[in-house]
Formats: sequence, structure tokens, C-alpha cells
Amino acid sequence: MKMTIEPVSAFSSLDVLVAMDEGLFRAEGLDLTMASRESRDTRSTTEGTLTRPVTNQGRLQERGEATMFQG
Amino acid sequence: MIVCAALVVPPDSNVYVPQELAHRKVGLDYGNGTAYAGLQMLEGAVPREAISTCAAVIHPGERYAAMLRGEFEATVLQEPWITVAEKAGCRLVSTTFFHGTWVGGADLDPRLYAAFLRGVTQAVHRINADKRRYMRYFKEGWAAADPAVQALTPDDFNLGRIQLREPTPIPEDEARWAWDWMASWGVLNGSFDVTAQINRKVEREAHELAFSGSG
Repeated sequence: MKMTIEPVSAFSSLDVLVAMDEGLFRAEGLDLTMASRESRDTRSTTEGTLTRPVTNQGRLQERGEATMFQG
Repeated sequence: MIVCAALVVPPDSNVYVPQELAHRKVGLDYGNGTAYAGLQMLEGAVPREAISTCAAVIHPGERYAAMLRGEFEATVLQEPWITVAEKAGCRLVSTTFFHGTWVGGADLDPRLYAAFLRGVTQAVHRINADKRRYMRYFKEGWAAADPAVQALTPDDFNLGRIQLREPTPIPEDEARWAWDWMASWGVLNGSFDVTAQINRKVEREAHELAFSGSG
């Protein structure tokens, strides 16, 4: 089984990074990869406002390039 | 994973408690969990009308640098920049924790999610058995190009801020409270509808597959 997720950082996903590095997903039959963002995927949060924020979360999933993202 | 967020002020700030941030500019990365954690920390200290925020960049290291340049008087940081800020003499005037929640599409295969949950669960056990061993991960990714982060050693980290737990289904009450609170700020519109926000069928099937021994 293969699955791609949006990129993550240690502050919110240390468990995922460790599971990838130590083969814990592979041991469960899951080939997990992390998508990479291109510059076109990234907009600055400074372009947004409190009530109309700009977020990059979910953009790759919307395009079908990732199955999950962390919100 | 549980995310730690800290409301931080520069070393020379005269702010010592979050109440003293009333009517003072706080830089937040709107649209992200840390920004909402920041708002909640402020709202717990001052009336809503006394909260003053501005848009700040999503990169915590760059946000921290902007605060030190005086672009705003406080900001909210995550690790490893909380540790960097503390080492530089900054003060944490409030700290909170929130869930990092995975979001999947409507067609998410429960078997995939179950395998993901099992892998994450085993990682949680390994990390909790020896957290300091894994602090090197905080020096990667965004932090790889930041000299202040690269200068940290594993012993610099306050492990109480590194909290991991096994994944669980999303608690409906917490989801509703979060929705209602965000709606009260005008970030979301409409009423919370659990059936629209949480796919309980996929969630239940995945958790059963992952943890019942049948997966």
C-alpha cells in the first residue's frame, strides 16, 4: 500500500518522521512518502488577515498529490 | 502529536504576564494552529477588544527574528524556537498545547489510515521511552539553515514541552468547541455539523483495523 502526505515538521509530527525513518510504516505494509512543496504551492501568511487567512495546508491534497495533511 | 505553543516576548520587554500584552501588537501566522493558540492564550488574559494582532510569517524562526527586530511586541513560537528564544533571554509569558490533527479526503482508504495509525503508535512508544534521543529531529527541515537551532544540544530541550500520545478518534465536543470559538472570531461561518467535519465511518473502520488485532 502506498500513501503520500503533505510535508510535516518535528514540532507537530515527530512521531511521523520517526516512523518513516525507523521503518515502522514499512513494517505495517505502508509505503509512506512525503510530498514536497514547490514555490507555486507556497503563499505567505502575511498576505492574509485573521478572518481571511492564507494557508498552504491542504493545497497538495486538493490537487490529488497527497492523501492527508496535518491541520 | 501534541503541539506546544509559547507566547514569547524579547529579553528587553517590560511584559511579564500575558495581561500586559493588552493593546500591544502580537505577530501571528494567521490560518495556522499556533496563531489560534496565541489568540486563546491572549483571550484567557485580556478582554477580546484589548487583543491586537498582526499578520506574521509562518516560519517560526523568521517570525522570532521579526519580533527581535521590533516589528511586533510578542509572538507565538513552537519548538525548537521556544528553546532558542529562552536561551537568548526571551520570556515565555504563556504556554499552551493543542492537537495536531490529520485531515484526509473523503475517499481515504481505512486500511491505509490503519497502517498509518499503527506506525505512528509505535513511534510514539519509542519516542516516549527516550525523548532526548529524538531531539535531533528538531534541527532538521525548516531549522536546518538556522544557526541558533543548530547550536542547540539535546540537553537544551525542555522535554515537558515534547508531548506525544497514541492517536485517538477526534473528540466531538472538542471539535465543536473549536468550531464555535473560531466562528466567534469570524474565521468560520455557519454551525458545526459533525457529519460534515468528521468521517466517523472511515475513522471507526481505521481504528478498528489498527487496534483490534484484525488489521
